[in-house]
Amino acid sequence: MSSWQSAAPIPLTGADCFLRAFDAEARRRNGASHLSQLVLRLGRGFELARFCDLVTQVSRANPLLRAPIRRPFGLLPPVYDTPRARFDAAPPVWVHESSSPRSERVPQVFFDRLNATQDLRRGELLRFDIVRYGGGAEGTDFAMTWAHLLFDGSGSEHFIEWLAACHRGERMPEDLSPAEGAGIASVTEGRGAAPPRGPRAQGLKARAYQARMAGFAARPPRSLAGPLRRTPQALCYEVETYGPEETSRSVERATQQAGFLTPVLFYLAAVIRAHHAVFRMRGLSAESYVVPVVANLRPKGARGAIFRSHVSMLWFQVFPEQVEDFATLLGILKDQRLARIREGFIENGAAAMNFARWAPSRLYARMAERILKGELASFFFAYTGDFLPGLAQFVGAEIRNGFHAAGVMASPGSAALLSLRDGRLNVGHVRQQDVFSAAELSAFRTQLHRDLLGVDGGR
Amino acid sequence: MAAPSRVELVRIIFDILRTQLLSVGSEFTEQSSLVDAGLDSLAVTQLLLAIEEATGVWVDESLLTPENLASAESLAACVYELQRRAS
Repeated sequence: MSSWQSAAPIPLTGADCFLRAFDAEARRRNGASHLSQLVLRLGRGFELARFCDLVTQVSRANPLLRAPIRRPFGLLPPVYDTPRARFDAAPPVWVHESSSPRSERVPQVFFDRLNATQDLRRGELLRFDIVRYGGGAEGTDFAMTWAHLLFDGSGSEHFIEWLAACHRGERMPEDLSPAEGAGIASVTEGRGAAPPRGPRAQGLKARAYQARMAGFAARPPRSLAGPLRRTPQALCYEVETYGPEETSRSVERATQQAGFLTPVLFYLAAVIRAHHAVFRMRGLSAESYVVPVVANLRPKGARGAIFRSHVSMLWFQVFPEQVEDFATLLGILKDQRLARIREGFIENGAAAMNFARWAPSRLYARMAERILKGELASFFFAYTGDFLPGLAQFVGAEIRNGFHAAGVMASPGSAALLSLRDGRLNVGHVRQQDVFSAAELSAFRTQLHRDLLGVDGGR
Repeated sequence: MAAPSRVELVRIIFDILRTQLLSVGSEFTEQSSLVDAGLDSLAVTQLLLAIEEATGVWVDESLLTPENLASAESLAACVYELQRRAS
């Protein structure tokens, strides 16, 4: 048994606590957990029985996967209470035999799963849904859904890679090393964008972060869904997969205009303008667009950590008058990114999230709400680059496509998640069902398509 | 203070990468691929800021081509050229 699997509880990272606060807020206001999802669209040959067996073995060897999350004595920073993880509580694998033919549409059950609750206090952290077509002969759709803090996006891909390696017999379920498991704190500290040591230095950084966030309130954002409110969560999403030619055109534009290693800003600019098109259609002004972009804090070049969230946030704010021209917008985003990294915004964010470990989750959510005048953000956005690069098969089946999806609260009610798989761009749009009309959705997609490909007119 | 020579620039950039930004072992050399070693969008910006602090030269992000980021040596050549033009 690895050292990290010992009886000692495992602390949540600052980012985990940020996401735990979101979960509490989503449950309170929208009756659903804050979940994330990874989808694989598989060909024939998925070994269901072997997969179920693998999940049981992995869960037994790794108590964190079923550990209740709680705050010791009701006061201390929350932990994965691994000593109290139930031995027999393996993550559930739900199998759905589909009688309808397979299509490009994502199965409804995957949306339902994002609208469900998973009780963190009972260790309900992870579940799988397997949709089989023709008993698996026509392929399988696979969804892994998890409480957003169990893995971040990179960690979830590492976990899938690790399951695949276990299936191939290259790894054993109990083989997780500390760097891959939970014991990463020592690796992220003191390197790159890690938070500084010492409570005073951290306090100053957290305060600088809060001051920067408070500056956004001068022209607060407005989301398409409107401010936070109590309403049942009803999410759906679709993923548009661009063909190889369109993808290579989009990737080339992103590289040329935003830079070889920073294409994320190109995609962010396109998604801001797609939301702007809907505001314009409604005859409304957003006042400003405020969007968080995840910054990965993993040590660069090290073997990837699987569990917990190792991220900070870079926040961007742009105004409607800066959005009209794509090149102008992209230039502003580039300038903001550089200025914020220069001022230490990422480290400040990490320090602020570390402090949040001590704050009651509702207090933290209320602070965020107050600063942004009832909104959490204009929308959520992620560009995660190549999806599971180098992994062609999963548990016996070819991976035909794959992408991330994530829950988005009733406000802001819209999230765009982009990634690449085998030379094809996947553009996922997760939304609260009543936020976009059919005409608005069409305008959103048309604008996004124009900016990604640099063409006039939609498809 | 005299501007660093090309050889010194290679050493400066290599040291920043090895000690501050990348989690790499002895297999990482001045000729190693930076992207393969784990340099990403955040790390490359931190690298530019560290180079500016050490040399006073700012490398515009438009110069971050695959060729210039091929290795510490090639990036040093790019910085050296910028430094030479500025002097």
